[in-house]
Amino acid sequence: MSKSSPRRFGGKSTGTVTVIEAKVHRSSARNAKMAFILTAVIVGLLAAVVAASYWHPIVALIVGALIGVPTGAAAWLLVRVWPVLRLLWWWTPETFLGVGLLTCWVQLANHTPTVVTLLVVALLVGVPAVIRPVRRQVIAWTWCLIVRHRLRVCFAQFIIANQSGSLPLILWSRPTPVGERVWVYLRPGLSAKDLEGRLDKIAVTCHASTVLIERASENNAAYLRFDIKRREVLTATVGSPLVDVIDPAAPVSASPLTVPTALDLPDIDAPTITLPTQGKPATKKPATSANGSKPAASPSSDTDDVSDWI
Amino acid sequence: MTTTVPTSAAAVPVGPGLSMFDPLFIGIDEFGQPVYLDVIYRNILIAGEPGGGKSGLVNNICGHGALSDNTRLVLLDAKLVELGPWRDIADAFIGPDIDEAISVLRRLLIVATNRYTWLLANRRRKLVPGDGMSVIVTIIDELAMFSTVLGTKQQQEEFAALLRGLVSLGRACGMPVVAATQRPSWDIIPASLRDLFGYRAAFRCTSLNSSNIILGQGWAEQGYTASDISPTNQGAAYLLAEGGVPRRIKAAYLTDNDIYSIADYAAWIRRPTTGVPAGSRTDWEIAA
Ligand SMILES: Nc1ncnc2c1ncn2[C@@H]1O[C@H](COP(=O)(O)OP(=O)(O)OP(=O)(O)O)[C@@H](O)[C@H]1O
Ligand SMILES: [Mg+2]
Repeated sequence: MSKSSPRRFGGKSTGTVTVIEAKVHRSSARNAKMAFILTAVIVGLLAAVVAASYWHPIVALIVGALIGVPTGAAAWLLVRVWPVLRLLWWWTPETFLGVGLLTCWVQLANHTPTVVTLLVVALLVGVPAVIRPVRRQVIAWTWCLIVRHRLRVCFAQFIIANQSGSLPLILWSRPTPVGERVWVYLRPGLSAKDLEGRLDKIAVTCHASTVLIERASENNAAYLRFDIKRREVLTATVGSPLVDVIDPAAPVSASPLTVPTALDLPDIDAPTITLPTQGKPATKKPATSANGSKPAASPSSDTDDVSDWI
Repeated sequence: MTTTVPTSAAAVPVGPGLSMFDPLFIGIDEFGQPVYLDVIYRNILIAGEPGGGKSGLVNNICGHGALSDNTRLVLLDAKLVELGPWRDIADAFIGPDIDEAISVLRRLLIVATNRYTWLLANRRRKLVPGDGMSVIVTIIDELAMFSTVLGTKQQQEEFAALLRGLVSLGRACGMPVVAATQRPSWDIIPASLRDLFGYRAAFRCTSLNSSNIILGQGWAEQGYTASDISPTNQGAAYLLAEGGVPRRIKAAYLTDNDIYSIADYAAWIRRPTTGVPAGSRTDWEIAA
């Protein structure tokens, strides 16, 4: 992810391509210096102390310096290239995938005639493209790769983290029926609450419909799970299993209702429009008439209840 | 009689052996997994805009209750048609009549108190399946009608107070409450009543605020808002139950035909058990 430096301090070197952002660059330089000094001093002193038990203290000091300085330099180098290492880490899956595919292609092209090569490639590409579940899987996993980078863009572009500009660790991701789920480990300076205010922006950056954030661990607030949603799956009507177990041949049990005849507005006189009195005969009647017409049990328990109460 | 937790929707054990203590299938989640509720030890509040699918979910619960062993249904439906199909098997079916609603709630409260006395006498704190006591499920559709429209102000307040009592007492004595209403804001039902419902199902809402009222303060800010449900996707909801985080679900849907077939079948299988008045009478006599 190389981009020309748009920042003010990058102005001097107009035209150069910076791989690492200026802010990260500066803090990395500072950190590297600190790492050099600390490592050199500590390792040097330790080495000198150990050496002092064999040689004269002055010789030991020189030996300590000789050991400390290269170790410090190694630490400096590690801290200095760390942003690049991180960048490589971000693109590890893609790199491996690319290398793997390219190797396969070269091997295939070298060992088979052109026609066979093209045929094999056509098969390898065509079959997943035609078979729907396979195609879906491929697309879903591709989105998983894309979404990790989009999330990183979110963190780098508009979620201000900390002074050194370190980004959260974006761990693995996997497809879900509605989109993707990505696990993220936050660095100091961020919390789930900070992210909740920016869910809509994250959704836009990830080309998704909505994003939800949940804690992935009860014990660690830094470990989060991003649920990225880009599809509505709950559109089909769900049947109820109750329907499958009933016997449709069961006798109809509906007790007869006394249906009111006043079904239009003019049928109802002005004073009698209160809803409860209208509803009362319609509901109370069936219970009693059911008792009269049917020996079925439940209506009778209804009467029990009423008499119990009265 | 209890059955083991089924693994897939196709294998849900239902039929005469069903019990309210079994997990109750209500739909699927976004991962295609079946979603179960244990309504028995919880109360559930279902809300959302008109036509969201609330009565669909209520009917699922009602259907399960109807086919369950040793389960009584107390149905309050101001709209008559949503719970009306179950009126023959219900112990009480109350239409838009607040007097009857109040009287049945009073009776339920007495039963609850008596059951706790019984539990105390048995040195226990909670009803379990082996107790042989019936589960009394109170299902209220269009709760707002009872708390704001029907009857006098005083009756409405009494209704709300009694319901609050039942919701707070019913949990451990096998008397869960399922209530559905469109918008459970404080002017419709008292906040003190709303907050007692442990489980919430939020069907589509028009605003973040309405969704927050149903699910609880703060969920919309975290991205869990029922206002992002498409108006054409009826039956989709956020369910706040076990797990502590709202889950997107799609409620199972029973057509009118299904509902009436289940009701007919339930009336048929209930005939021998409820036909013996002795069993049912004693329960109520213990209570009264
Ligand atoms: N789970 C579902 N799957 C598919 N369609 C559904 C589902 N639930 C409801 N619907 C559709 O939505 C319509 C309205 O549903 P329902 O009567 O349950 O809404 P409601 O929320 O109870 O409305 P109201 O507030 O007016 O009572 C139904 O007639 C049905 O067509
Ligand atoms: Mg309804």
